[in-house]
Amino acid sequence: MLTALWALPALGGVLCLFTKGETSKRFATTVAAAMLGYTVWLSCVPYAPEAGVWGLVESGPAWIFGIRYQLALDGLALSLVWLTAFLTVVSFAASWRGAESGGFSAGFWSSFLFLEAALMGVFLSRDLFVFYVFWEATLIPMFFIIGLWGSEGRRHAAMKFFLFTFFGSLFMLVGLLALVTHYHAVSGVWTWDMGELAGANPTGLAGLLMFVSLIIGFGVKIPLFPMHTWLPDAHTEAPAAGSIMLAGVMLKMGVYGFIRVLLPVFPRLSWDLLPWLGGLACVNILYGSLCAMQQRDLKRLIAYSSVAHLGFCVLGVLSWTPEGVAGGSLQMLNHGITTGALFMMIGFLYERTHRRGLSDFGDLVTRAPWMTFFFGWAVMASIGLPGLNGFVGEFMCLAGMARALPLMAMVAAIGIVLSAAYCLPAYQTVFWGASTAGSVSSKVLDLDLREKVLVWLLCGIMLYIGLCPTPLLDALAPSVASLVADGFMP
Amino acid sequence: MPIPVSVYLLFLAPTAALLVAFFLFRPLRPQWTHWPILASCAVVAAASMDLAAKTYTGWSMDAPLGVWMAAGSWEVYFGVRIDGLCAAVLAMVAVVGGLIHVYAAGYMREDPGFARFFLCFHLFFLSMIGMLVSNNFVQFYLFWEGVGLCSFLLIGFWTHKQSARSAALQAFVTNRVGDLAFLVAILILLKAYGDTRFEYVFGQMAYGGGPLLLLVGVLLFVAAASKSAQFPLYFWLPDAMEGPTPVSALMHAATMVTAGIFLLARSWPLIAFVPGLGTLIAAVGGVTAVFAGLLACGQTDLKRILAYSTVSHLGLMALALGLGRVGIAVLHLIMHGFFKAVLFLCAGNIAHGLGKSAADISEVGGLRKHMPFTLACFMAAAISLAGIWPAAGFFSKDGIIEACLEAGPGWAALALTAAALGAFYISRMLFLAFFGPSPEQKPGHPHEAPAGMSVPVGFLALGALLAGFLSPGIGRLLVKGAMSPEESLALAHFSWPVFAAGTSAAVIGFAAAWFLTIARPRFDWTWRREHPGLQALVASDFGWRHVVAFVVKTSWRFAEWVGGALDHRTWDGFLEWTSPAAVSLGGAVSLKSGRLSDYMWWIVMGTAALLAAALI
Repeated sequence: MLTALWALPALGGVLCLFTKGETSKRFATTVAAAMLGYTVWLSCVPYAPEAGVWGLVESGPAWIFGIRYQLALDGLALSLVWLTAFLTVVSFAASWRGAESGGFSAGFWSSFLFLEAALMGVFLSRDLFVFYVFWEATLIPMFFIIGLWGSEGRRHAAMKFFLFTFFGSLFMLVGLLALVTHYHAVSGVWTWDMGELAGANPTGLAGLLMFVSLIIGFGVKIPLFPMHTWLPDAHTEAPAAGSIMLAGVMLKMGVYGFIRVLLPVFPRLSWDLLPWLGGLACVNILYGSLCAMQQRDLKRLIAYSSVAHLGFCVLGVLSWTPEGVAGGSLQMLNHGITTGALFMMIGFLYERTHRRGLSDFGDLVTRAPWMTFFFGWAVMASIGLPGLNGFVGEFMCLAGMARALPLMAMVAAIGIVLSAAYCLPAYQTVFWGASTAGSVSSKVLDLDLREKVLVWLLCGIMLYIGLCPTPLLDALAPSVASLVADGFMP
Repeated sequence: MPIPVSVYLLFLAPTAALLVAFFLFRPLRPQWTHWPILASCAVVAAASMDLAAKTYTGWSMDAPLGVWMAAGSWEVYFGVRIDGLCAAVLAMVAVVGGLIHVYAAGYMREDPGFARFFLCFHLFFLSMIGMLVSNNFVQFYLFWEGVGLCSFLLIGFWTHKQSARSAALQAFVTNRVGDLAFLVAILILLKAYGDTRFEYVFGQMAYGGGPLLLLVGVLLFVAAASKSAQFPLYFWLPDAMEGPTPVSALMHAATMVTAGIFLLARSWPLIAFVPGLGTLIAAVGGVTAVFAGLLACGQTDLKRILAYSTVSHLGLMALALGLGRVGIAVLHLIMHGFFKAVLFLCAGNIAHGLGKSAADISEVGGLRKHMPFTLACFMAAAISLAGIWPAAGFFSKDGIIEACLEAGPGWAALALTAAALGAFYISRMLFLAFFGPSPEQKPGHPHEAPAGMSVPVGFLALGALLAGFLSPGIGRLLVKGAMSPEESLALAHFSWPVFAAGTSAAVIGFAAAWFLTIARPRFDWTWRREHPGLQALVASDFGWRHVVAFVVKTSWRFAEWVGGALDHRTWDGFLEWTSPAAVSLGGAVSLKSGRLSDYMWWIVMGTAALLAAALI
C-alpha cells in the first residue's frame, strides 16, 4: 500500500518516457491525478488506534549493516504526502498552457513523476538509509527540470542548485554514517531504523559533529542562513511548475528532517543549542524579509519570502512544545499551498507575457480582476493575515517559541511587519499601479475556467485552514505527541 | 445558558449577505450588490438593539463557541462576550454603520467598482462587529487585523491614484507595527496564563505576572495607539482621506479608529493593574488632542480638517481613559461616532455637489443658500463637536473636562485647550464653507444631495443632537456584567463650574473663529499666503512627517543594502567565486585529474576522517 505511493509515480515516469507530445502531457496528468486520488483514499483509511502513531507500516527483510526497507505513514508524513500529490497536480495544471511554447517534452512530464516518487519516498521512509537514497534521488529530476526547461540563466542556476544541495547531502551522509557507527559502538547493534535510533542521544564532541553535519545537510534544503543563496536563483530560473515543487515541497524536506531525525535523535543537543539554532531561524526571518524588500523580480521576491517563512517553521519545531511542533508542521503545509498558489499565478503571468519583473506590469486590476483578487488573497495568506492559513501556523510557532525562549519569539514576530512591507508594495505595483511605458499588462488575459477552478481550490483551502485547522491539527497530534513526549522536555 | 439568536445573527447575517452579494449579485446584477448588504445591516442593527436591551435588564454572557487552534493541552477558542461595554458600543456601531451604508449606496452609485466597494465595506463592518463581541485576545486580534485589511482595500479603493495607493500602504504598515505589539502582548499572556480569555486573564492577574504585565500593558497601548491614531503613530489617519468619503465616515465614526480605544477599555483591569500606565496613556492622549487640534486649525481640505479633528478627539478619549474614567471615554466614543459621521457625510455631500471626490475650503463658500439641509445637519454636528448644551457632545466632553479638573490643573489645561481648539476649527470650517464669500470660479453647481444621501445624514444629525439624553441610560448599561470596577465606568455628574469652564472654552473658540472668518473674510487665505513658512510647518505636522519619512527611507535603504550589497554581491558573490577558485586551485596542485575514481578516493578518505573523528 505504501510502496505503491512511490512506485506508481516512478512507473508512470518510466512509461511516460515512451510517449510523445500531447499524449505524455495527458498521461502524466492522469497519473498525478490518480496519485492524488490514492492519497485522499489513504487518508480516509481508518487507522487502528492501538497501532499507535504509525498507522501504516511496511517493512522488508534486513539487509547488510541493519539496513532494512521500511516505510511508515503517520499524520505528519500523510500531510506531506498529500501536499506532494496535490502540488504535483497543481504544477501540471500550471504548465498546461505553456507546454508548447516551453518545449515541455515527455522528459519534462516524467521528471515530475520521478520527483513525486522520490519525495513520497523521503516522507515515507522509516529507515535512514532508504531516506537518504530517496533524498538524493529528488535532486536528479529537479536538476533537469531547472537546467533544461528553465528561463535564461537556467544552466547556472541548475548547477548552483546541484552543488549546494550535493554539498549538504555529503555532510548528511557523513553525519548519518557516524551516527549509525556510533550507535553500533554503544549498543552493539547495527540499525538505520529511525525509531530505534531515536533513543541514541549522542552528546560530546562526536555528537556535536554529527549534529552539525546533519544541520548542514538539512539546513541547505530549508534553506537556513547562510546556506540560502542557491534558492533565489533556482526558484527564479525554474519553470513555474518547478518553482511550485521546489518551494512547495522540496524545502519541507529539511524541516521534515529536523522533526524526524534531528530532534528525536539529538534531543539533548538540540535543546542545548536552541539559542543558536533559534537565532539562526530568527536571522532567516529578518534577513530573508529584508532581502525580499528590494527584489524587483516577482519570483525572487517570493523566493526570499520562503526563506523567512521557513524560519518560522524551524522556530516552531525547535521549541519542543506541542503547539510549536504542530505549528511548524502545519506551517509547512501552509507554506506549500500559499507559495504554490503564488508561483502558479506568477507562472500564469509569465506564460502570457514572458515577464515577471515588478515594473513590467501595472494596473492589472482592470485587465485581470480575478487574478488581482486571488493574488491578493494569497499574498494576505502569505503575510499571515488571521483568518487565512499562514496566521495559524505562524502564531502556533511563535506561541511555542514564546514558551521556550520568549525573547526569541518577540524578535521573530518583527517578521510580521516586514512581511507587509515587502509583499504589499510589490502587490500594489503589479496589480494596482498605473501601467507604465514598458508595461506588458495589455497582453494579460484574465484567468480562464481551468485556472480559476485551481486557484479557487487553493484559496479555499487557505481559508479553511485559517478558520478551522483542527482536523489537520488532530491528524498531526499523534506525531507531535510522540516527539514531544518521547523527547527531552525542558 | 443558551446563546440568543441575536448573537448568531451578528455573524450570520453579514456573512450570508457577503456570500450572496459576491456569488449572485456581483456577477448578475452588480448595481444591486447593496441590497443584501443593507438587509444585513438592518438585521445587525436589530440584533444589537435586542442585545443592548437584554444587557440593560441585567443579562450578560461569556461563552466559548468552538476551538480554533489546539495542540496538546494548548488551545485557543472562538468565543462571544456580551456585556454592557460591548452592547453600548455595538449599538452605536450598528446604527451609525448601517446609516453610512445607506449613504454609501447613493454616494458610490456611479462608481464602476460599486460591487467591490460594497463587499469590502461590509467586510469592514463585519470585522468590527466580530471584534466587539470577542471574548479573548486572539480572536480580538483576528478581527483587529480584518479591520486593517479592509482599511487597506478601501483607502486604496481608487487604485489608479498614486496617493491612494501609498496612503493605503502607509495605513496598513503603520497598523502592522501596532499589530506586532498586540501579537507580542498576546504571546506573553499565553505564556504566562495559557489562556487569553479576558475574564480569565484579569482574574489570574491578581496572583502574579509582575513585570511581564507591565510589558503587556505598554504593548497593548502601542497597539491601541496605532489603530486609534495617537501620537506618534497617528500620521496614517489624515492621509487615509484618499478613500471614498463613506469609507472615511465609517472609519472615523464607527469601525476603525474606535477599535484602539475599545481595546483599552476592554483591557482596563489590566492597564489599571500596571502602576503609572494610566498616566502615560492620559499624557499621550492629552498631547495628541492639543497637537492634532492645532493642526486641524491650519488645514484647508475639508476632509483633512475632520481627520485631524478625529485624532484630537481620540486623544481626548485616551486622556479620560488614562485618568481612570473609562465610562466617560466610551461615552465620548459613542457621541463622537454620531457627530463625526454627520460631519464627514456633509463634507461628502459638499464634494458630491461640486462633482469631486474631495473639496478644499478655498473652493467652497456661501453654500448656505444652495444646501440649507446640509447646513442644518452640519450645524447640529458642529454644536455637538464643540460641546454646547444640549447636543450630544456636551455630555461626554463635559465629563472629560470634569475628570481633568479633578486630576489637576495641567490635565484641565490640556482638555480645555483641546475643547477651545475644537470649537475653533469646526466653526472656521462652518463659516468658511457655508457663510463665507463664494469663490469667484466655482468648479461645479453646488446642490443638495438626493434623498438617499440626505435622509441618513438627517437621522445621524438627530443622533448628534439628541443622543446625549441617552447618557444616563448608557451609564447604567456600561456597568452591566463589567469586568472593570464600577467607579471607573461611572459617568460625570452635572456641575456648574465644569459647565462654565467647558462652555466658555467653546465660546472662546467660536468667537475666535467668527473674528477671523466672518469679521475678516480675507484673513484666512491672506494669512496663508503671507506665512508660507508657517504653512509648511503645518503641512509637515510640525516636522513630524519629516521624521517619519526619514525613518521609512532609512529602513528602505537598509533593506536595499542587506539585499543588494550584503546578500547578493558580497556573500553570494563569494560563494560563486569559490567555484572558479576551486577549479584553478585544483589545477595548481593537480588534484583535478578528471578521473572519477580519484574523486571517489577523496570522498572516501574524507568520510573516513570524519568517521574517525566521530568515533574518538
